[in-house]
Amino acid sequence: MGLLTDELRARIGEQAVYTAPEPVGRASIRYYALAVGDANPLYLDASAAQAAGYSDVIAPPTWITETNQYMTGSRNAEGYMGHGWGIELPNTRLVRGGNSYTFNKAIHPDDIVTATWEIVDATERTTSKGTDMLIVTSSATYTNQRGEVLATNTESLIWTSMGGAA
Amino acid sequence: MSEITVGTVVPALTKTIELTDMIAYAGSTWDWHKLHYDGEYLAQKKIPKPVVDGQIFGAYLVQQLQDWLGPKAFVTALDFRFKNLVFAGETIECTASVTAVEQTPDGTLITVASEVGVVGENARVAAGPCSATVLVRS
Repeated sequence: MGLLTDELRARIGEQAVYTAPEPVGRASIRYYALAVGDANPLYLDASAAQAAGYSDVIAPPTWITETNQYMTGSRNAEGYMGHGWGIELPNTRLVRGGNSYTFNKAIHPDDIVTATWEIVDATERTTSKGTDMLIVTSSATYTNQRGEVLATNTESLIWTSMGGAA
Repeated sequence: MSEITVGTVVPALTKTIELTDMIAYAGSTWDWHKLHYDGEYLAQKKIPKPVVDGQIFGAYLVQQLQDWLGPKAFVTALDFRFKNLVFAGETIECTASVTAVEQTPDGTLITVASEVGVVGENARVAAGPCSATVLVRS
């Protein structure tokens, strides 16, 4: 044990807020839809989306769960520029545990998205094989310029000890 | 929606994820992590091939349900656990079946249990168990 430090425990409740510098836009929606190979007319054709009761094209719901596009910093040595908590644990391996999303409202091109991240929990345990694990749970709430909640995301990141000298 | 009941099997969705797909996804999500495309970086980390960004499975699970239920459907919740890494060039299959059907004032709420599996030589679970809820507006 020992992966869960007092310093990390004290960070539970810490928030990070990112607001997009511009509206979602149709191009961003179309790029994402084509990148995932989903040419649903709801995402690409305003008249098809209107026929389904929307004011304009909508984004594939998982579009919003990637907040990297709101960042203003520069990329790190691994090429990554998205949100992170800067948790560095020597001699561990980081894997994603999972995601749990709610999609509260359809996302439209004129939405200006704010993502509010929070560290909601940090726990440690030892597996039956004696490997130490640290599980950090974060949540994100995505709102638009009218304060409407568009989606929420709870995700877990798991650091596992690689053994040997800590 | 009367034909959909508990146990109804959702048509599977199959995708072969080429490196080009992964680069397109990395671009569209502004996630430029080298894990997803950079051979030199992967060799240093002793990872055999570029690793698929697991969050794309969420998009596939939505696509499977949206294609099945049509434009009046809206996925309201999605939950998935990652089980194994998926590498460039592999083929995944999303499978799902209905676990609950509920009539609400807004329409029919359908819940499914699903899984993302790698098919072929090294068949394994990529993400699961997964679950999703879809509202089909009446």
